[in-house]
Amino acid sequence: MKRIRIQRWGSQFLAPRTQFRPQCPLRPPQHHLSPFPQPHSCRSQSTSAGDIFPPLDADESAGLSQQDEDVSIPPEALPSPPPSAALKSAKLAALHARLSLPPRLPIQTLARALVHESADPDPNFNNTSLAILGSNLLGLYTSEYLLCHYPRLPISVLFAAQSAYVGTKALALMAHEWGIESVAEPGGEVDPGLLQYRRLAAGAAWGEFAPRGTGRPNEQKGWRRGITSKIVYDDQFGDMRMKTPEPSQPVPLDIAAESFVRALMGATYLHCGRATTKRLFASHWLSRTLDLSKMFEFRTPTVDLSKLCAREGFEPAVARLISETGRASRHPVFVVGVYSGKDKLGEGAGGSIDEARVRAAVMALKSWYLYKPLDVTLPSDAEGMEPTKWKPNLVDLGEVIV
Amino acid sequence: MSALPLTRPMRPLSTKSAPLFLPHLTTRHASSTRRHKKLNIISPAPSYNLSAAPNSTTHSRSAKPSPRAPSATHIIFNPPSAAPSPTITPPKFLPASDPRRALYSSFTAASTRSALQSRTPLIAATGTSLSSPSLLPARPSANLPPPVRGSGTYEKKYHLTDADIAEIRKLRTEDPYTWTRWRLAEKFGCSQFFVSLVVKAPEKAAEVEASHQAARDRWGNRKRMADEDRKRRVASWGR
Repeated sequence: MKRIRIQRWGSQFLAPRTQFRPQCPLRPPQHHLSPFPQPHSCRSQSTSAGDIFPPLDADESAGLSQQDEDVSIPPEALPSPPPSAALKSAKLAALHARLSLPPRLPIQTLARALVHESADPDPNFNNTSLAILGSNLLGLYTSEYLLCHYPRLPISVLFAAQSAYVGTKALALMAHEWGIESVAEPGGEVDPGLLQYRRLAAGAAWGEFAPRGTGRPNEQKGWRRGITSKIVYDDQFGDMRMKTPEPSQPVPLDIAAESFVRALMGATYLHCGRATTKRLFASHWLSRTLDLSKMFEFRTPTVDLSKLCAREGFEPAVARLISETGRASRHPVFVVGVYSGKDKLGEGAGGSIDEARVRAAVMALKSWYLYKPLDVTLPSDAEGMEPTKWKPNLVDLGEVIV
Repeated sequence: MSALPLTRPMRPLSTKSAPLFLPHLTTRHASSTRRHKKLNIISPAPSYNLSAAPNSTTHSRSAKPSPRAPSATHIIFNPPSAAPSPTITPPKFLPASDPRRALYSSFTAASTRSALQSRTPLIAATGTSLSSPSLLPARPSANLPPPVRGSGTYEKKYHLTDADIAEIRKLRTEDPYTWTRWRLAEKFGCSQFFVSLVVKAPEKAAEVEASHQAARDRWGNRKRMADEDRKRRVASWGR
């Protein structure tokens, strides 16, 4: 399979390069505030003021540097700050340093990642395109991590874990932890280091979007959406795909913050490559603890366990009383173990024999579903890997269906 | 095993050589504090007395632990009682591709061999960590704990014919008040659940539900809240 060259695709997301203008040799050298010195003769990639605003006369253009060009257009007239303002923002530089972002990621792209489409509908200047790429990357890395490390996880728990790692609330919380502050009102004069978006009024309705067709057969009959069909037809969290709102519509803070985090991921991938992006993902997302054993809810665990034993060919599960105390007292404790033949599958303690039996079955089922293999090779690491090094991961039969 | 529930073991007749790993309590308290405290003494864990010979007379309730002078180099494995964690997969649940499966089977084989070679201790209760001095898994000949209900072996019977099924349906639809699920289960040697799968009696079910709801409506606040708490507690068992 031909290797996909993402670098070439990535340039479609950035504004097209305009011709660089020669600077006046008599002007004193400019002191750039960005941490990475750029040669004076080049303009930054993401500057594209020349596309929108009419070109200046030949006399005036000879002596102008990029800073003087922007003076003629008042920043208040622009919907978002010009890219040149990114070099002067202390907040942006602090954010870049605080997140230990690689130097190859330009500060102008970081500024662009902070602009939501509700502040600036122009796709050349907002973070929508970067956010789409970043959202796909986050979804890929999280789902492959969960599927490879926990091959037997039930689908509903998988969806819940996915949204716990990269859902809207999780990403908004991360943006808050990173110290992202938002503007009161977006405009061209605001500090580029602030998250720019049009804020939804308090108490206003949000989230009532029409579902767009998922492609399920017989969708118009209104049948129940099966769990397995969610993998095929719905998004990475198992939710129905909804029609996107209008670009200028005000949004809640969570949506804007989520778009920034996703855009940062996309920008890192485009500018710095796969290895750096994976390192960013590992340090920010995989370092977060998620207790998967607390995400289960069994309605009929004893029935599930007996079906599991029948499916796998084990001897039928039998509950046995391991020990007890205080049977005639106000607070007895019974310890019951579930045995398949002579092997103990799970153990549970409870205030009644029934409770202990049910808890033992729950423990047995959890230890089945939370099985974790020792060695795992992630598919995203396979790019550039020698074919002999690939070890196939365990693909499980699926959860017990009662 | 007998049908009696597990209780604290009775004191054996010879008390000097065999330490008891549970308190000597058959009464709730004794007539003096000194006597009560004496009954509550528990022998130290066997790993503390490993320096002494296994059958010496120093084994008694008053034996002092001497962990500082082990007779040979060894590892003391004496974990506290704790609920097992679901992250530890039982060996039976490991897939064939997992290398830990081979490790478990070789460990079980080695421990079984060593268990069969050593002497049987006087106390050999399965399941409790204080019972065996070496804290290895139970002997192969040891009995499993008693089953919670039934005899432990559960064989499904497929003895009912189509004629029997039709008979069940006929009897229940004719007179659900005489031919209840319980009576039909007794008559045909199956479970009540199976009878409910075969035939439903919706009118009787609605009447029973209505009478139950009427009883629930007569409850006071306290009983209703206690019932709600019980339902919530039962739901929490599944998490």
